[in-house]
Amino acid sequence: MIVADRLELRAGDRVLMAPGSFIVEAGAFCVILGANGAGKTTLLRTLAGIRPFSSGTVHVGGRDLKNLTHAERAATISHQTGDDIFFDKLRVADVVAMGRYAHHGWWDWRRDERDDSAVAKALEAVHLQGFEERQFDTLSSGERQRVWIALSLAQEAPVLLLDEPTSHLDVRNAQEVLRLLRSLCASGRTVVCALHDLNEAAAFADKILLIGDGRLLAYDTPERVLAGNTAALAYGLELRSVRLENGSVRIFPA
Amino acid sequence: MIVKLAGILLAVLAVLLGSLLAGGTWIAPAHVLHALVHPGDPQAGVIVWQLRLPRVAIGAVVGAALAMAGTLLQGMLRNPLVDPFLTGVSAGAALAIVAGSAVGVTVGFLPALGFAAGMATAIAVAALSRRGAGIDATRLILAGVSFSSLFAAIIALIITGLQTASSAPAIVGWLAGSLAGRGWSDLAFALPYALLGAALAFLAVPALNALRLGDVRAASVGVNVPRAQWMVLCAASLLTACAVTLSGTVGFVGLIVPHVARRIVGSDTRFALVASAMLGAAALAGADALCRSLFSPAEIPIGVLLAFVGVPAFLYLYVRDERAPAS
Repeated sequence: MIVADRLELRAGDRVLMAPGSFIVEAGAFCVILGANGAGKTTLLRTLAGIRPFSSGTVHVGGRDLKNLTHAERAATISHQTGDDIFFDKLRVADVVAMGRYAHHGWWDWRRDERDDSAVAKALEAVHLQGFEERQFDTLSSGERQRVWIALSLAQEAPVLLLDEPTSHLDVRNAQEVLRLLRSLCASGRTVVCALHDLNEAAAFADKILLIGDGRLLAYDTPERVLAGNTAALAYGLELRSVRLENGSVRIFPA
Repeated sequence: MIVKLAGILLAVLAVLLGSLLAGGTWIAPAHVLHALVHPGDPQAGVIVWQLRLPRVAIGAVVGAALAMAGTLLQGMLRNPLVDPFLTGVSAGAALAIVAGSAVGVTVGFLPALGFAAGMATAIAVAALSRRGAGIDATRLILAGVSFSSLFAAIIALIITGLQTASSAPAIVGWLAGSLAGRGWSDLAFALPYALLGAALAFLAVPALNALRLGDVRAASVGVNVPRAQWMVLCAASLLTACAVTLSGTVGFVGLIVPHVARRIVGSDTRFALVASAMLGAAALAGADALCRSLFSPAEIPIGVLLAFVGVPAFLYLYVRDERAPAS
């Protein structure tokens, strides 16, 4: 469970999010929406504990984020960002094994059987068995995204934060990744991810956290957030929502 | 992997032993080996123990130190073009040694002076490249290059003024990189710093491995990124300062040996660092042996030889691999 209380985000002098509070329940799938530059990445990095924040508090799993050591934080929260540029050639198994860093002392070179089995289990969970020896840079965007999720799983943290896990993915791969994340929620993990596609958010999220206009605009179910005018305010664009027979909402530019 | 590392180790030992054979006086290999075991050997003992062995040992230490420093910095900055002199260590040390010689500082004090100035420059560069608690890669490169250019200009000025002085050729020779005239006492002075740097480097290995995925991902898996960056910078500066003190500015090794090591053992820092150290030791000791023997009794500056032999060899390997079909 993530509890943010009067959390304020700033980038230099600019206020990205005026003090706002929200609670992400354990096992929930929460999607952060907002226009480019609204502060989605900043919010995720803040919740991940890798970016300092000016005021307010964040508790993850009952513990104050500011009091966690690096290793404790990594045991609680896994965070995946968008960029994956590195000059070394890396095998998939090596990339996923990085998730095991905090399971050893920071000086400790060893990799033990528990690490190997965690890596194998994580690759199996994202349906990438047999990819261990593949070079990461030969993978497709969809496969890469699943490798990052496997890294998070190998980390064995109950909270997963992902920054735009479906960017660059075709519709089928995007659906697969989102279904995978959804199934992780079913197994008790808490997932928070930033997305751009409003309909992906509508279809998969339990809750949507909408930021824009320098504040937390809404935090509610997709139906409530997307059916009103708030989303239009966040994107500066008129939006039309259609309610499907099953009760879910789809959004289009008007 | 163990087989590969053992193979490298054997090759390195062969090169180091072979380097003991090189020199102005021809001594049969069996004699050299005999003298190694019996330092009191009347014929070859002095030559092997007082002239060749210290020189091979210094070459190996300098090569290992530079290659490790290169591996550390390339890994931390995720930039394959980085070399150990980037931290300004070499430029600072060079300026201090040139200025020291110009004002007549006793030769025995020069290495210590160079070491202190090199470390001082590294600290200044590190301070300028600070961002938050950590280090900004771009600022580090800019600060390092700026200091190096400034110091090179001042050195050029001093050398121009010194042209007639008797110390000028020695200084120019040192700047081009050379192990000539170095002995056990020089090694004893510099080695502790290299060992301290190597110890720091090995402690930073797991973090360096995670840093291959970028600072943000490394932080996310639990790396204390600022601590890792400072450790790597300290380790690289200590290693480079030790190398510069012993041999002047020897290029190539710190830039290219890490590439060769990664090509052989892969990018896992655990193996790449060990392989770099071994290959660096062999490259420098072997090159120095050639410098001593090719045009004996004259010596070629080691930096020159490394550039002439090493760069084409590396380019050949690189082009060959690039053209090879992807596996």
